[in-house]
Amino acid sequence: MSDTAAAHEAPTSTGIDHKKLIMWLFLASDCMFFGTLISTHLLYRKLFPAGFTDAEGHQRFIQDLFSIELTSFSTFILLMSSFLMALAVSAMHKGQIKSFRRNVLGVIIFGLIFLGCQVFEFTHFYHKGLTIQNSVLGSTFYVLTGTHGTHVAIGVLWLILLYFYSFTGKLGGHMGALDVEVAGLYWHFVDIVWIIIFTAVYLVEYLGPYGIWGSGLPAVVK
Amino acid sequence: MSSSHEAAPSKAFLAEEVRRYHHFIVLALWLAVVTGAEIVLIYLPLPTAVIFTILTLMSAGKFFAVIMWFMHLIYDKRLLFWCFLAGLVLAFATFAAVLCLFSADRIDTRWFA
Repeated sequence: MSDTAAAHEAPTSTGIDHKKLIMWLFLASDCMFFGTLISTHLLYRKLFPAGFTDAEGHQRFIQDLFSIELTSFSTFILLMSSFLMALAVSAMHKGQIKSFRRNVLGVIIFGLIFLGCQVFEFTHFYHKGLTIQNSVLGSTFYVLTGTHGTHVAIGVLWLILLYFYSFTGKLGGHMGALDVEVAGLYWHFVDIVWIIIFTAVYLVEYLGPYGIWGSGLPAVVK
Repeated sequence: MSSSHEAAPSKAFLAEEVRRYHHFIVLALWLAVVTGAEIVLIYLPLPTAVIFTILTLMSAGKFFAVIMWFMHLIYDKRLLFWCFLAGLVLAFATFAAVLCLFSADRIDTRWFA
């Protein structure tokens, strides 16, 4: 721990603000939640590597649906929103409320862009025949990425509330900085979950002609 | 709670914040470069196992970089790190347990047909 952190030690038995400690414990529990969803998706991808059957009865591969350009753009947007969130937290610690507002507005816009990309992706997949009901792949994919999207939406809502709350003059000092820091922890968590999803769900599908799960495909499907 | 009632940040504190600000910029650039490298990597003519291993390491590197710097774990109390690590270990244990309990080779997929 740095000297600066020690100088701002909270008057609690652990020396950590309760809000921050509770948020970290929540994030640890959320790790298990996403761990289960990602495990389930990977397991069923291994079991059903052939993808899904569309409305016309054609066998489709998920590689036909994925757009690496769109997903890469979403990933970049979310990473940069995390950077802006770190700057917003830093600005609040320095008492620079205008800088905080600028940065948090950037995070909100980037978060909305990410959500827009996800809505576009889901709509595109649905029209191509991948629904939450017609295949195990659809169920696990939509539940996993949809749960992450819900987390992003909650984060955006939280930051919008913080942004408008900052105009009341009540968001200041150590407690205000702590509130922003706790919101920032949540936002960064959403980012790190996407880092894993980007690799485990999207990128691995591009390894080899049928994705990393392609070795399990029956010869007739290949 | 207005900021006007709070003590002004000390010089040492502001200097530390400036130092962190530079760390954040470097980290953001680094994350963008690694993400770009990941996308290039999947098109390289390398064995799948090699690419998969490198992708996993890159992803883990990005994950820990964000939690250590952006989430301030490197500057904060160690207790927070251990709290989060406990959740992370349990998540990986869940992953391992799911894979072992429902081994793909032992599941009768006719149930899902």
